[in-house]
Amino acid sequence: MKSGFRVFLAAFIALGASWCGLVLAPVLQLGTAKQTAILNSSDTYPIQRTGDATLGLQVYRANGCAACHTEQIQQSGVVFDVVLTGAGKNPVAVSNLVSGLKLTGLTKDEADGTSAKIAAAGGKVETHLIPTGADISRGWGIRRSVATDYLYDYPVQLGSLRIGPDLADIGARLGNADWQLQHLYAPQSVVKNSAMPPFRFLFQVEKIGDAPSPDALNLPAEFAPPAGYKVVPTTDAKNLAAYLLSLRADVPLYEAPFTPPVAEKK
Amino acid sequence: MNDEKKICPTPPDAEPTATRSTVPMWIFSLTLVLVYLGAVYFDHHGGWFDAKVYGPYSSADELDSYQPKSGAAAALARGKQLFEMNCGICHGVDGLGKPNIAPPLAGSEWVKAKGVQRLTHIPLTGLTGTLRVEGQSWNLSMAAMGAALPDTDLAAVLTYIRSSWGNGMGPVTADDVKAARAAIGGHPQPMSGEQMMKMPE
Repeated sequence: MKSGFRVFLAAFIALGASWCGLVLAPVLQLGTAKQTAILNSSDTYPIQRTGDATLGLQVYRANGCAACHTEQIQQSGVVFDVVLTGAGKNPVAVSNLVSGLKLTGLTKDEADGTSAKIAAAGGKVETHLIPTGADISRGWGIRRSVATDYLYDYPVQLGSLRIGPDLADIGARLGNADWQLQHLYAPQSVVKNSAMPPFRFLFQVEKIGDAPSPDALNLPAEFAPPAGYKVVPTTDAKNLAAYLLSLRADVPLYEAPFTPPVAEKK
Repeated sequence: MNDEKKICPTPPDAEPTATRSTVPMWIFSLTLVLVYLGAVYFDHHGGWFDAKVYGPYSSADELDSYQPKSGAAAALARGKQLFEMNCGICHGVDGLGKPNIAPPLAGSEWVKAKGVQRLTHIPLTGLTGTLRVEGQSWNLSMAAMGAALPDTDLAAVLTYIRSSWGNGMGPVTADDVKAARAAIGGHPQPMSGEQMMKMPE
């Protein structure tokens, strides 16, 4: 094999180039990522998980939740809504003007134009940025997922198959630990026709004793254990629920801006 | 038989060899056109490998244009950023000041005054000599730290100072800063505490 060195060199360059592109470049770009500031706020994001939620990530991983659930919200675009916040000195003219204008689902330029028109008539307006996309219209989140969301996940449980819904925002969507625990024990008791298998081995069925048990699940009759017994979550189940509640991709960031819905209600 | 031999000059059992032939010009042109279109598409949609640019945003400029730039919240955020950059080194990012370096801003009567005229003058002219803050005398000097800031930015900083750390006072507008600048004139001298006290609040 007289060209052995050349074969080695070619293989080295090919593998080295892909290593540079797939490993080195991402590490250089995101390897030093830190907490970032939430838009228009002095708070930082994300916050470190509590101990039980950190352990819960390992329960999530051990039970293969990522086989059926993703943790990544997709976004296909943004629209702008122009919201009238004050009618100014000439409310009749402003309301006449506004009734003839399209105020929702605008592009940035259209929104700027509309705002300028209303402002010229004396009205006060705000422009709201609203992300759009299939996942967002399903109610799975407010904005797309970005690298910062996974800062404290190890390993990151992105998932690739959606037999169940996306969980990137589950803590904001269903932030009730009791609901989460009941759903883990008997998914069909809270979501009818759910395809999720029950994770009963994360719970213990115990005889009701003298001491009250604040953790016992409050199950409907159909799913309840026999009379005289109660269902108590194990530490693993509680950790998993804490982890699910810690998944909250619901704050605006520089790289994924949006106008918080709370501001809309003001 | 002789004629056939003339048509086939090489012996039929010889190995066929590749000849040097040029690539057709249309393949070459098509490749160039595709490379060009790809480069244009990348330029418009790729974000130039910026770690902050995710789809559906196509460039750092587009993302920048979507950041909230108006409204009270955005002004406060800007004020906080500028305060920490310009003022926080001496006055502390918590506004509590530092002994022998700078007096506190949190709870200071100079910040919590009803009017904003004195407060607006301080960063524009600077201070020298004795100044009483919260019952304590400070004999220090401060440069005109805010003189180089635009009106809106200085107003944002002062608004941040007045509204933070429990001060709970109203905003300073860019017009206030503009008026103070006009009153001070071209080459300001650092003001003393007595001069400040003579000025209306």
